[in-house]
Amino acid sequence: MSMDALTALIVIVALIALATALGLMLRTRSTRVAAGCGADEHQLAVDGAEVTLVQLSSPVCSACVAMRRVATDLVAADPTVAHREIDVVDEPEVARRHSVYSTPTTLVLDREGHVRSRLIGAVKPADVSAAIDAARTELVHA
Amino acid sequence: MSAPTPEGVAAQPTGAAATPFGIDPRGPRFGASITSVLLLIVVLLGLTESLGANFVARATQPAALLLTALVALFAWGAFAGIQKHPYGALYRRLVAPRLAPPTEREHPAPPTFAQLIGLLVTATGLVLHLLGVPGALVVAASAAFVAAFLNAVFAYCLGCQLYVLLVRTGIIRRTAARA
Repeated sequence: MSMDALTALIVIVALIALATALGLMLRTRSTRVAAGCGADEHQLAVDGAEVTLVQLSSPVCSACVAMRRVATDLVAADPTVAHREIDVVDEPEVARRHSVYSTPTTLVLDREGHVRSRLIGAVKPADVSAAIDAARTELVHA
Repeated sequence: MSAPTPEGVAAQPTGAAATPFGIDPRGPRFGASITSVLLLIVVLLGLTESLGANFVARATQPAALLLTALVALFAWGAFAGIQKHPYGALYRRLVAPRLAPPTEREHPAPPTFAQLIGLLVTATGLVLHLLGVPGALVVAASAAFVAAFLNAVFAYCLGCQLYVLLVRTGIIRRTAARA
């Protein structure tokens, strides 16, 4: 290739800038709160719970462990909320119904089993609480 | 249901003796930061050197020598396992004692698989370079750099994501993943 040192340095800086931009994009995309989509999951809602968090996890996934800890803490503090975990390898159907491509993805179900939102990645406790509170309100049919 | 027992137990921030399962996730990130700097040097050398005229010249130019060393390191991580990688030993001896114990541990299988992906990318670039393909070394080292940089700086391990996806789709057997 043999370009001069200055041009080579510019290429290097551009490469670092590209990798940084990609990293920032992945960071915002990998943890987010999305609207519920697809079918309701009546059979997955825990009886008696106002809100059920259905966490879809895979066997090898460190963010799943972090999300499990956040959900377990919230459930311990609020008995009206339930948490259950589904292994996407054991039960791929649920993941397929809700277009889940990354683990953990947590479906927030209201009392009737409507999927009100999806938490993608290890979402911050405050954002999980906000999604739980939103799921307690009556569903407004458009 | 998933099996929370191994990860659940390992997630407890107990003493090192009480956590036989899982690795400190900061170990592979430490290794990735060294790898990304070395890959950037390969790119810089590759851009400024002219392609060797014959096989021996191409094999012995500095960019190719450094990339060969990196290929060997990726092979070490991929085949011996991430825990046996020399950077891992360096991390445990020099860095880990100065840090707080890890709050969570991760399964060694995904970062080990990521080493295999790193090996495939860099070895392909090296072989094409040795065969005289212009730019192969720079392109492969750049691609590997982006992946190593994402792991080191953003804790985003591309190879690990791929591993999880392959386990999910059943291409990699789940029993192997849990072993």
